[in-house]
Formats: sequence, C-alpha cells, structure tokens
Amino acid sequence: MSATVDVPAQVGVKKNYLTALKEALFEEMSLNPHMICQGEDIGILGGAFGVTEGLQAQYGAQRVIDMPISEACIVGSAVGMALNGKTVMAEMQFIDFISCGFDQIVNMMATYHYRTAGEVNIPVVVRGPAGAYGGGALYHSQMNESWFCNSPGLKVICASTPSDAKGLLKTALRDGNPVISYEIKELYRRNDIAEVLPDEDYTVPFGKAAIRKAGKDITLVSYGQNVYHCIQAADELEKLGVSAEVIDIRTLVPLDEETIFNSVAKTNRVIVVNEAPMTCGFAGEIVSRISTKAFDLLDAPPVRITRLDTPVPWVKPLELFVLPSVEKIVQAALKTVKY
Amino acid sequence: MRSQSGTAAPERTDDPKEHNQTIRPRDLLTKEDHLEIFKLLFLARYFDVRLIKEKKRGRLRGTLYSSHNQEAVLVGCLYGLRPDDWISPIHRDMPAFFLKDIKFKWDDPARMGMSIEELCAQVWGKAGSPGRARDNWSHIGSKSKHIIHSTSMLSGTIPAAAGVVYADRLNGGDVIAMTLNGEGSTAQGIFHEAINFAAVHKLPVVTIIENNHWAYGTPTHMEYSQEDFARRADGYGIMGLVADGQDVLDVYDKVMMAVNHSRAGNGPSIVECKTFRAYGHGDHDDDRAAKYRPEAEILKGRERDPIGVYRQYLLEKGYISPEDAKLYIAENKGAGEVGNEDFPPEVVAYLSKGIDYALTCPVPEAEEGGMWVFKEGGR
Repeated sequence: MSATVDVPAQVGVKKNYLTALKEALFEEMSLNPHMICQGEDIGILGGAFGVTEGLQAQYGAQRVIDMPISEACIVGSAVGMALNGKTVMAEMQFIDFISCGFDQIVNMMATYHYRTAGEVNIPVVVRGPAGAYGGGALYHSQMNESWFCNSPGLKVICASTPSDAKGLLKTALRDGNPVISYEIKELYRRNDIAEVLPDEDYTVPFGKAAIRKAGKDITLVSYGQNVYHCIQAADELEKLGVSAEVIDIRTLVPLDEETIFNSVAKTNRVIVVNEAPMTCGFAGEIVSRISTKAFDLLDAPPVRITRLDTPVPWVKPLELFVLPSVEKIVQAALKTVKY
Repeated sequence: MRSQSGTAAPERTDDPKEHNQTIRPRDLLTKEDHLEIFKLLFLARYFDVRLIKEKKRGRLRGTLYSSHNQEAVLVGCLYGLRPDDWISPIHRDMPAFFLKDIKFKWDDPARMGMSIEELCAQVWGKAGSPGRARDNWSHIGSKSKHIIHSTSMLSGTIPAAAGVVYADRLNGGDVIAMTLNGEGSTAQGIFHEAINFAAVHKLPVVTIIENNHWAYGTPTHMEYSQEDFARRADGYGIMGLVADGQDVLDVYDKVMMAVNHSRAGNGPSIVECKTFRAYGHGDHDDDRAAKYRPEAEILKGRERDPIGVYRQYLLEKGYISPEDAKLYIAENKGAGEVGNEDFPPEVVAYLSKGIDYALTCPVPEAEEGGMWVFKEGGR
C-alpha cells in the first residue's frame, strides 16, 4: 500500500521542491483526518507532475479525488466541503487553468468569511504549477497572482525553496482562510536547489520574508524563480563592486513590509523583480508601498523588472525576450546605484 | 412531456409509476399537513406583498425580486425536507429562508430555518441579520441551519451543494442538498459542471429549476432549445421530473420523489417547476416588464394562482368548508389590491413580529465594513 510513498524520508538526504510539496501533503493528510485532496488526474495518475503520487493509494479515492475537468467545480465543491467541516487541497493542473474557476474563487470562496460576518471560514488551498522560462507558451507559463492579490479574502503565497515549499504549504493547510499557492514548476526537480529538510513537523509562517543574500548598496525584492535570477545578478554585481541584498518575500498576501523597508533603509535603492506583466502587477504594489510609506529612504527611483506587457510566447528567444533576466537586473542595478 | 427534437421522445420520467411508487408522496399528508401547507402559501404571499408595499413606501434599500405567484414552488419544495437537509435559495426565493423546517413549529427557536426576525433584519439592513447586513437581501445563509449562502452569480452554489453532501457522505450522513435556480441560470457552465460532478459521485443534490419563462428580460425561446429541462437529466444519467409549479401538491410529489431517490444513493436529480413570474425581474423592472411582456401572457398566468388552485383542492377533499374557503381571498389579486384582511391573522401577526424586530434593531457600526476579511487563529 505504501510502496509508492517515498516519505518519511531518510535523514540527511537532500530533497527537491516537488518532494517537499509531496511530504507536506502526506503529513497533513495524516495529521488531519478531515482533509481532502482533489484535482484533475491527481489520484490514479498521481498528478501531471507527480506531486500527489502515492497519495490516493495511501488515503483512498474518497479523500483523494480524481475530478472531472472543471476548475470551477474543483474550487466550488471544495467550498462546500469546507462549509461542512473539511479542509481541502484543490490542485490546478496548471495555474493558468485557474481562470476557469475564477468566479468560484473570487466571488464564492474569497468573500465567504466576510459576507457571513465571520460565521463561515473556508480552509481551502488552491495550488498549482506556475511560471515561465520552460517553453510552456501562453497557457502553461502564467503568473496571474495579481488577480488574486486584488481579491480581498485570499492569501497568496509563492515558495522558491524546497523547505519553504513544504513549510508554507503546511501553514496554508492549517490557516483557515482560502490560500492560492503558486508553485514554480521549473523548480520542481532542480537538483541544485535541493535541501535537507527538518526532520520535525515544521511550518513557515506567512508574512515573513527571507533575506537570501545580504548586501548594502541596493535591494533586490522578488519571489518565485526570479529570486534565483536576483541571487545570480547579485553575484555578478559583487564582482563589479556592488553589494546587493536579495529579499524573497515568500508570501504576497500578507506582505512583510518591514523586512523590505529595513533593507531599503540600509541600501536606499530598490529593484523589484517578478515575471508577471508589469501593468497592475505585484511589483507595482511593492514599489507603491515603498514609495508611499518609505519615500524618505530612497536615493533613487524604485525600479520594476517584470515581463513585458505581453503573453508568454512559446519559442525560447521570444520567451526570454519578454521575461526578466539576470542581465536586465544587473544593468538596472548598475544604473540605479549611479543615480 | 413534449419534445421539440427530431429524435424519439425519451421515456416519460414524470410518471410516478415509472419509479415504482404506487403511493404518491401527497397520499401520506394528513389533513393537518394540508391546512399547514395552505397557511404557508398565504405566509409566502403575504411576505411578498408586504415587502412590495414597504419598498414602494421607500422604506427598503436594494432590489426586491418578487416571488408573487411562485409560492407553490417554494412551499412544495421545502415542506417535505428533513430539518438537517441543506438548501440554497436565490434572489426570488426570500420566503424559502423561513419556510425551511417551519412545519408546525413557526416559533421554535431551535428549528433549522431562519427566524422571521432574522430575515426581516436582513431585509431592513440591520445588525440582527445573520450576515450583519454585509450583503443584500437573499445573500444570506446559515452554516448551523444548513442554508448555503448564495452570491449574484447564478447557479454558483450548485458546486458548493455538491461539496456539502460529499463531506456529509464521507462522515456517514444522509442529508440531501436542494439548490433553487431560475431557468435562466441553467445556461451557465457551472450548472453543467456541478451536476456532472454530482452525478459521477451519485451525490444527493436536488436541483430545482423554477421556470418562470423569463430570465430578466429574455424569454425562454432565447434561453434554451429544449421544451423540458427534465431531458437535460438524461445527459447525466440522472432523474429528471417536471412539475406544475402552480400546483403545490404536484410540486411536493415530484420533489419528494426526487429527494427520496437522491437520498437513497441513486444520484442527483432535477425537478423543473413550470411557473409564472407575476412582476418584473426586480421591482426596478416592473414598469418595463409591463411593456416587454405580452399582456395576454400576464393575464393567462395570473389565472392559475397557486393559492386558488390549492383552495379548490382542499374544498373538493372536504379539508375546508365552503364557509372557511370564503374567509381570506388573496389569490388573483395584485400586490396593491390585497390588504391584511385577505390573509389569516396568524400570518399577518407572524410577519409583523419580524418587521417590528427589524425596526428596533440597530444598523451595524460603520467599522464593521472593514472586519472579517480574514479569519484569525487558524482553521
């Protein structure tokens, strides 16, 4: 029965992002008998990417449900289950498909606690693989997180490391509010970021950013796979004599403003990097908060490096053309420190 | 059932004998039940006409979606439910909130339906509303009383209903979830998506289609191409029935057949209740509705008032005497043509009690507008 289950893990072994997610699901399913997982192809197949591999064998088809292709119903029925006492992990096969469940998310789920004056809360985590740089083209590359950051009642998270992927997902499943989790599919199986995960039951709190690299000349704020672009850019900048601090916000709603402001207080310069389109994207929100709440700290205009205001094209040169890159970050940083 | 398609009509699904029910659900109703149902029709009608008057006097905010002339659907659908069954009413179903689990216990505070005080507080936008007047009119519910809270996105609660009963089955329960929907909302994708899911898992979701033949300002022939929604059920391999929505006992029969069928584990069901919308889509639309709807249709629709249809039945059965039958005549009268004398005094008193409560209730504090976005403290 548990032959396909690769958890609990061996001590001291590095694990990738995908395995970390899987561990979170197995552990929470075991700790919470009222938890249900549902999504397209998550049971028999184990998920398009294998995040739920072995879960149905372990917990049965009633708690790990292979759903018809209907994101609206995956979310909507999860809301009903939550209304009747369950905690639900609802998988979007690709986060791009979340648009098919948009109404159920923003009107039914996000507002439930509000419109019932607190009588009802909806512990549902909608999670799915997201992000570009993999040749996924228009409908398998999106970062559409700003839609949901703009819908009060939803928490929005995006892990960039295996330990955060596990710890944030566990926090999400215990939070009691609807959470949208952007998992970076390009990071799922990247061995160079694999980590040894804590043996004990641990969580990573929402609203607490991580400083990935300390620096004093300029702050690079990011999340998801762009964090690695920022770290790489910081390494290159170091060679050029510029010390960049890299902040991974980890959760968008709630946002840890304090860590960002503390960093900007030190560097007085900031670049925000994300791979969503620029207009009304979350980079704009971060820049806006810095500009309105920490204006006096700035010695240079804050900069956004985002995807162009285009869809994500398919073939590589076109895709890379529209997306943030290490080179774009380095160039913008050099310009900003000289401002 | 009529069929418009070129293929052979499917087997009739609205004949009780098809489902091995030699005894119709109505045959198990007592005289007391019949008299209670009669009173509930008056109560639903009175709620509507009283609110129409309050609205016209400018005492209410928001939009009133009149349920006038559709009372048999509401009473017939809800009368036979178990107290712990779930429902999800929509905008035109305001009386459904208090009709749930009301049978012989109108004033029981422990009943699994909304009290008339709570409902009136909601309509008046007061703090005594179960949702503290955060969303308007029908957008309320109660987790503890098993009423799913709707939004303005029609058919949007059917997946939630499916989820509720999925969870209940997992816990070993046997409740059903009844969703009330207008025929216009059946064009939404979520209507199909949710019923498909419920059918796959044989979930006890009873979908009521209140077909009043107008989706706001669009007539049925521009909304869908089938004559009967019961045939949609064939596409999911589930039970589909058609009821005369002006005849409370026909509604009761078909709905209870569907409820029993679904509760027994045979999957979801659809009951279409053919009825008639007396006024506009909402009160803001009354004047225009009088123009976009053919007058002959309105006159014809008003002929079969559900209170009158039922009164005739009760007379023929001898449940009421010819003298009793003349006491309160609300049927075939417009909202502006009836007075309190047209309704049983206990009906008038019941709603008045609710309105009195609403009027004394405070409006919520302004700061509440910023509260309850997120739950604190974990699940």
